[in-house]
Amino acid sequence: MKISEKGKSIIRWTSCLGLLAVVVIYGMRAEGVTGPWTEPENKRPDMITIDAMKVFGDLERPGVIFLHDRHTEALSSKGQDCSACHLKETDTRGQERLSIKYKRLKDTNRNEVMSIYHNNCIQCHTEVASEGEKSGPLVCGECHQEKPDIVSSGQPMGMDKSLHFRHVKAHENKCEQCHHEYDEKSKTLIYAKGREGTCRYCHMEETQENRISMRNASHISCVDCHLKTKAKELPSGPVNCQGCHDLSAQEKIEVVKDIPRMERGQPDIVFVKREQPDPYTDPELKKEISENLMDQVPFSHLAHENANDTCRVCHHAGMESCVTCHSLKGSKEGNFVRLETSMHQIDSQMSCLGCHETRKEDKNCSGCHEFMPSGLKTKDPSTCISCHMKPLAEIPDSVQPLVLAENVTNNEPVENGSVHMSDPLAKMLLESRVPITATYDEEDIPEKVIIKKLSKKYEPTELPHRKIVNTLMKNIQDSKITQYFHQDPGTLCQGCHHNSPVSKKPPSCESCHGAAFEGGYPYKPGLMAAYHNQCMGCHDRMGIEKPATNDCTGCHKEKKK
Amino acid sequence: MSISRRQFLGWLGAAGTAGAGAAVGKKAHAAATKRFEGYPDSDGVLFDSTRCIGCRKCEEGCQKVNELPEPERPFDDLTVLENKRRTRAGVYTVVNKYDTEENGKRPVFRKIQCNHCLEPACASACFVAAFSKTPSGAVTYDESVCVGCRYCMIACPFEIPTYEYDQPLTPKVEKCTMCYPRITQGLLPGCVEICPVEALSFGKRKDLLREARDRIQKHPKRYVDHIYGEKEMGGTNWLYLSGVEFEKMGMREDLGTTPAPDLTHGALSIVPIVVGLWPVLLTGVYAINKRKEKINREEKERAVAEALEKVNAEAQAKLSQVMEKAENDKKTAIDTAVKKALEEAAKKESDDKETS
Repeated sequence: MKISEKGKSIIRWTSCLGLLAVVVIYGMRAEGVTGPWTEPENKRPDMITIDAMKVFGDLERPGVIFLHDRHTEALSSKGQDCSACHLKETDTRGQERLSIKYKRLKDTNRNEVMSIYHNNCIQCHTEVASEGEKSGPLVCGECHQEKPDIVSSGQPMGMDKSLHFRHVKAHENKCEQCHHEYDEKSKTLIYAKGREGTCRYCHMEETQENRISMRNASHISCVDCHLKTKAKELPSGPVNCQGCHDLSAQEKIEVVKDIPRMERGQPDIVFVKREQPDPYTDPELKKEISENLMDQVPFSHLAHENANDTCRVCHHAGMESCVTCHSLKGSKEGNFVRLETSMHQIDSQMSCLGCHETRKEDKNCSGCHEFMPSGLKTKDPSTCISCHMKPLAEIPDSVQPLVLAENVTNNEPVENGSVHMSDPLAKMLLESRVPITATYDEEDIPEKVIIKKLSKKYEPTELPHRKIVNTLMKNIQDSKITQYFHQDPGTLCQGCHHNSPVSKKPPSCESCHGAAFEGGYPYKPGLMAAYHNQCMGCHDRMGIEKPATNDCTGCHKEKKK
Repeated sequence: MSISRRQFLGWLGAAGTAGAGAAVGKKAHAAATKRFEGYPDSDGVLFDSTRCIGCRKCEEGCQKVNELPEPERPFDDLTVLENKRRTRAGVYTVVNKYDTEENGKRPVFRKIQCNHCLEPACASACFVAAFSKTPSGAVTYDESVCVGCRYCMIACPFEIPTYEYDQPLTPKVEKCTMCYPRITQGLLPGCVEICPVEALSFGKRKDLLREARDRIQKHPKRYVDHIYGEKEMGGTNWLYLSGVEFEKMGMREDLGTTPAPDLTHGALSIVPIVVGLWPVLLTGVYAINKRKEKINREEKERAVAEALEKVNAEAQAKLSQVMEKAENDKKTAIDTAVKKALEEAAKKESDDKETS
């Protein structure tokens, strides 16, 4: 085939430009950088996202941002109440209550539910707007917002001991008014005395089979009861979002100080159980393992009840003892978390160590503990015996360990008014501990310490040493946990005199701290930084505002020139 | 000295292999997928914002050791912290205060200076190579070659390099040098030396990373589990620890982990090719045009020649035709004249006969 001269020219041009384009496009790989996303300023506790259509599959448009309290207020200003939106239904006990769904009792089908929302919302908004009042949106995108300009500031709500007690009092000890369990045989909700637990054990994050979600359960039960109580013109709990879910409102909830102990058959002082369920069927293996296990931990359930606001801080999935799910070997029920881990996991609020760790954040403690590595990272085995106390062999024969009554271990209901059980051996061990309520004698504590080693621009610094020790001691004197965990009169001194053995005469700071970054080695603070960090860090943590951290002359007198 | 053929070939082979090896090795290094992770023993500084007390001593130390102009307001005036400041000519470092809701609503402080990127954007943007990444970790600047284009200022993701706008004759770009002249003499950078709380630690970058990790591990609640500068923009020699999200201290968390030169090297690496390609391309274009012109010219000449030939031929034909016609006419006229003369002669003869 013969190509004309013009054709040849076109081919030449195309190949030249093509080559250039390939080279240029290959080179263009630089990527743009976009700015970070910022959270909207506008926050409300009553913001909810209506995504009820999710039950019918994926949403076609983003969920609707809905301000519940704003609607309640608008309706009540027109003399309307909850029934304007929520229909009445009958619960399993045959009592009438309001449905939590909007203008319907059941999610029938996609189109029907969608129409209920669209027709009723838009109709009401239109009516209000036609009266010349401020009204809600009428355009799709104003309700279905891709990027809402408002975020929820709603806080999770739950019962603590105080709030529970107030409910117990108001309901005259009628636990059955709230607590129930599902009876497989009769397929109804029944009340089981002595088996009460936190709602969340059954009512999970999401609805499962016939168990509605915690969110639905609490809104059906709490709000409905509050409404009915309010209707009887009795003092009632909140009926709007803000009343329970706003942080400032939560802080205003009345707290009862002296609360009688909850009766649920729980023990007083026992050993932390580690045998049940028994993973070792071979009796010899069982003997060998139990003999070689870590020493038992005596545990005062009573003291821990007093120190905590709720049962669920420890009993996060059930009222049974920890070993029920967290066996020695780990099991599926306990998410394969072994008993050892469940007690020692430092970042878990449900473990012993994790919870004790947070106690160090207290203003009176964090001045010293701020500088100490957290948890088991101290790698100091001597701390183990604080909990894992003396072996059985060293206990006199006269004290025999108690075998807990079967009814408690099997979690059977215990008759009301039962005696809280204690293991005499565990009790004896715990009581054998000597609480440390004082440090060394006054005369052994230097009154003043003059720091002159570094003085260049400033005069030597006078440290009111004894005053500091006394203040620290005074701050922690009433704390039980401190008394039992500061095992030596000198433990307190270790707040500053760290990384050396407990001693009445600890080594001076210069023993370890020298010039900064000696030999380019960044691991240990130089002497000046060590002093400054220790003093300022502690003041900062303890909330001591004067002298301010950046006010040099607050501590140092300037040298006269 | 006599060299055997075998020996000579052996030498040749060895030289060839070495040369090839060197060439291949170099090439492999340039094209390696392995990331450059900084000079192995480079120095760095670790800034721990949980220790910083906002005393501005580092600013003072920096000004002293670098002999920078005296500040408008003295260093012990802490009210300047109320405004957000940035580095500028004569000010290599500033401390800013950020109010946060975490940390017990205590303010946090952040020191701003050059981060001394492992692969600096400023150096990659500078076409006269005024910036260099020294093996010590410091990114230094050579004012003698700087042309003042300020590409470095645009390139820097941390907005650090500044320009002496008030120097009309000899303006230069200014930024922290990590006290390069001092650290090469075994001294600490000015800011690190003066810091009363060791919020700034100086050491080998790898040691600082280990120290930073150790602090996070020992105090998981005090620190955000992140070392800023370990990976940001491919890593920097200045590292940061914080108790609040870095974004809340005004530090960009959207920069990614790709070194700045990587973002442009694709495009820039073709510059030599393009530069090499342009002459070829333009020569090609010129040659094509030239060739086209030549062809056109030839075609035109040919056409003209053809046309001329045609016209000539036509003219010739016409001429010969006319000539022929003229000849015929002439012939006819002669014939006619001869005929007429003959007729007249015959008539005259007959007339004479009659009359006689």
